[in-house]
Amino acid sequence: MLGYLVDLMRLSRDGIRDNRLLWLLIAGFALFPIFTHFADLPFWNDVAMRIMLLGMAAMGLNLVLGYGGMVSFGHAAFIGIGAYCVGISQFYGITNGWAHLLFSLVACGAAGLVIGYLALRTSGIYFIMITLAFAQMLFFLFVSLETYGGDDGMSIDRAAFGVVDLYDPLRLYFLTWICLALVGLALMFIVRSRFGVTLRAIKSNESRVEAMGLVPLRFKITGYVISAVICGLAGALFASWQEYVSPDIMHWTRSGELMIIIILGGLATLAGPLLGAIVFLLLEEMLPWLLGVVAPAYAENWMILFGPILIMVVMFGRGGLVGLLDRWWAADKAGRSVR
Amino acid sequence: MTPNPVLEITDLDKSFGALTATKNVSFRVLPGEIHALIGPNGAGKTTLVQQIYGALAPDRGHIHLMGRDITALSIPERVRAGIGRSFQISNVLMDFTILENAIIAEQARRGDSFRFVYPAFSDASLIAGAYHILERVGLADQADRPVQDLAHGDRRMLELALALATAPSVLLLDEPMAGTGPQDSRRMADIIDQLRGQVAILLIEHDMDVVFRLADRISVLVEGAIIATGTAEEISGNDAVKAAYLGGEG
Repeated sequence: MLGYLVDLMRLSRDGIRDNRLLWLLIAGFALFPIFTHFADLPFWNDVAMRIMLLGMAAMGLNLVLGYGGMVSFGHAAFIGIGAYCVGISQFYGITNGWAHLLFSLVACGAAGLVIGYLALRTSGIYFIMITLAFAQMLFFLFVSLETYGGDDGMSIDRAAFGVVDLYDPLRLYFLTWICLALVGLALMFIVRSRFGVTLRAIKSNESRVEAMGLVPLRFKITGYVISAVICGLAGALFASWQEYVSPDIMHWTRSGELMIIIILGGLATLAGPLLGAIVFLLLEEMLPWLLGVVAPAYAENWMILFGPILIMVVMFGRGGLVGLLDRWWAADKAGRSVR
Repeated sequence: MTPNPVLEITDLDKSFGALTATKNVSFRVLPGEIHALIGPNGAGKTTLVQQIYGALAPDRGHIHLMGRDITALSIPERVRAGIGRSFQISNVLMDFTILENAIIAEQARRGDSFRFVYPAFSDASLIAGAYHILERVGLADQADRPVQDLAHGDRRMLELALALATAPSVLLLDEPMAGTGPQDSRRMADIIDQLRGQVAILLIEHDMDVVFRLADRISVLVEGAIIATGTAEEISGNDAVKAAYLGGEG
């Protein structure tokens, strides 16, 4: 096991800084509650929680979108399925939180398998449309299910996680943090494994992978299922945290949000989705406040600034924020070695 | 008595609407030989290769590889059965280094690409296998170069290496010298020459000098039909070939 880790660390030329950044960010989330405690800013724990959950979902989508080159525009559906699995099992009197999580992961794996199996027969724009169609179908299914609250959604009693009593919101924070770290660890292994490099090879050139005697569809479906399960985990934690779930959680704009986060942070990087989620949600929090100070009349129109910032990062930061940092670090190093 | 063919094409037909692209084609590729497939532009060479490879289904006829009927198999199944392929347009993994390309090919051949933990690019046995592949085409000394930075000729060499990596019993080379300069063409021809006897090769090539230098036997395809098969001497002396094909060149 230690040997594996050592191998991972002295890995490929591009991977080391990305790896470090990911663990730096994850470590930051572990220490953040200490900061909010002493700064007396408990509200920011909620922001951090949202960032971790959205970041986790984006990390899941990135396996498919970034590493696999499959532009899925329907991953909010898996967040929704994960969340509703918690709500529905509560509804039928199952109060054990571990059971909820298990139920969510299995349901999302199954949904990912079915949707992936059907949608991955297409590619390009058709794949985008089919994944969106499946997500919309599920969205309207939950809108129409009056038993589970329909449009209004359903409230959920806080689940019991056995010894981990979640009455204290910080405990749920740390359960989420552990899940985030596990997802990060799993993805770090997966993208460099034989499976992971084959998935990246398929993105690079599917017909060459076929000419090597492999069936690309199998790898793509497997990647799709893994990413669906990760999104489902984020959804389940989100529902437990909010103690509420409604179809809103799987609105198609959330699928778009996840894609923006990934592109902002850096496609096919480990740290990108998490960094993207941090910047995306911080901008969402800060811009209205900033405009409120500078030009109060426009405070509600903060999106006017938000859009151009996103466009600038995408246009000028090839490889997103991680790409920018990477080039900056590389230049810094080069400059120092010259001196 | 001729030895059992590696690849045997029998009565292959393929048409696209009114256009007949492959007309009752039958020929054999024997063990270890370099068998060239020549013909004027539009003769249906690539259509024929696509049917052997599995990218197009023939309307009629059979394809046997080492005595096994592979007509109904998919592309990956045919590759695992022993068909290797290089494409007319370079078809390599552009986002990786030369070594990484070879590693991915090596793990594909071993059939254990469904592993999720141990990193592929630092696996000592995969790296050893990959170097072995690259040595066959003379790319081992620049293994760490990204494919993006390679000249066209080197990409063609890499593509040949990837086709060899699947340990094929027959190699389909679709214009391997296409777009390369004279020096790279000679390098490629030398490598193909060295493969003679190791693997049966079906070579599609325009350059007649190369064909006459390399080919043990030549089949001439004109308007979808094979009009002659034989050694270089037999083909250059064949009146039908002269009329239909070589005649056009002078």
